[in-house]
Amino acid sequence: MLPNLKVENLSCVRSDKAIFDDVSFDVLPGHNIEIIGSNGSGKTTLLRTLLGLITQDKGEIVWLDDAGKYHNYRTFECLYQGHQLGIKNLLTVFENLNITKHAKGMSQEDIYKHLERVGLSNVNEFASNISVGQRKRIAMAKWLLKEFKIYFIDEPFSALDDTATLLIEKLIKELNAKGCSFVITGHRPSGIEATRVEI
Amino acid sequence: MIAFRRSSTYITPLIFFLIVVTFFPLALGPQESLLSSLAPGVIWIAALLASLLAVETIFSEDFRDGTLDDFFISLEPSFILVFAKVTIHWLITGLPILVASSIAAIILYLPLDSFIPMLLSLLLGTSFMSLLGALGAALALGKSAILSAIIVLPFSVPTLLMGTSVITSSLNNQDFSGFLMIMGAMLALGIPGLCLLTVEALLLNYE
Repeated sequence: MLPNLKVENLSCVRSDKAIFDDVSFDVLPGHNIEIIGSNGSGKTTLLRTLLGLITQDKGEIVWLDDAGKYHNYRTFECLYQGHQLGIKNLLTVFENLNITKHAKGMSQEDIYKHLERVGLSNVNEFASNISVGQRKRIAMAKWLLKEFKIYFIDEPFSALDDTATLLIEKLIKELNAKGCSFVITGHRPSGIEATRVEI
Repeated sequence: MIAFRRSSTYITPLIFFLIVVTFFPLALGPQESLLSSLAPGVIWIAALLASLLAVETIFSEDFRDGTLDDFFISLEPSFILVFAKVTIHWLITGLPILVASSIAAIILYLPLDSFIPMLLSLLLGTSFMSLLGALGAALALGKSAILSAIIVLPFSVPTLLMGTSVITSSLNNQDFSGFLMIMGAMLALGIPGLCLLTVEALLLNYE
C-alpha cells in the first residue's frame, strides 16, 4: 500500500528562526498522523505548509496520483479545518453546510441527516448565536459531505465536551475504515489510533 | 447571499454617494450652469470614494472565518475565486452607484444627452475600481480598514481622469469614444492582471 502523501525532512524558517525542522512522515490510506506540540511550536504552519499555503524552506512534500506516481504538487482534494472553522455567522447552521461545494446536488434531507449525525438539531439558528462547540460540530458535519483521501484538522479536540470528543473519535474510525486518513494536531496525544510526530 | 444579508456593505456606499452629491447644490446654490459644469468631477469623485468604502470587506471576513483557506486549498483556480469576489463586490457597490448616478445627474443639472456617456464611464470605471479595490484589500488584509483605500486611491487617478473626460466631452459635444475605449482597455487588462496580482497578494498573508 503506497502512502498518499510523503513528507521528508521538511523545514520552515521565518526571520532566521526555525518554525519546525526535519519533519518526516508518510500518510498511508486509512492511517492517521497526529502532530504533537506546544503552543507556537508550528503545528498550524506545518499543516498550511503541507497544503501549499506556505512555502517550505527545505524538504519534500509529494502526493500520490491515481496512476501510482508521485508529484510535488497536490493531486487530489483534501479537507482542511483550521482554527477558524470556515463558518459564516450570517448563515444558519443548515445554510453553512448547504453552501459548501461538496453539498452540491445533495438533498435537504441528506444535509439534515449529516447535521443530526453530529448532534445538531437547531438547523435554522444563525451561526452567530451558537457556541464554539456547536460551530465545531458544523465543521465536523462537513467531513461527512464527501470522503476525502486526507483530512487535515487543526486541534480537533479543543473546546469540546466528552460527547463531542467521543463523536470525533468515532467519525475518524469510520472514515479510516473507508480508507480516509487524518493528519491532526494537538497539544497532547489523543485517544485516536495514530502515528505521533512531535515538533 | 452573505453579501446581501450584510446590508451595510451596499447601503453605506450608496447613501455616501448621494449625500456627497447633494451637498454641492446646498453649498454652491442652485445655479444650473455652475452645477452642470462641476457635475462630471463631482459625480466621479463621489463614485470613486463611495466604491472604496466597502473594499475592505471583499476578503476580510473570509480571511477571519477561515473560508479563504478553503478556497486556496480547493483545487479550483484561485483566479476564478478572486474574479467572482470582485464581481459580487461590483454588484453590491458599483451597480447601486450606477443607478444612483442618474439621480445625482438630475440634482446637478447634467443634460439628458450626457446620461448615457456618464453611465458608460461609470460602468467601466467602477468595475475597474472594484478590481483595484480587491488588490488593495488583499494587500491590507488583517490591517487597518482605511489602508486599502489609501493604497488604491493613487492608482485610481487615471480612471478618474478618463471618467470625467467622457462626461465633460459629451457636455461640450465632443467625441468621447476614445476615452471610453481607454477605460475599456484598462478593464480588459485589469481583469486578468489585477486578479492574478490579488491572488499573489492574498497568498502573502499566509507567509
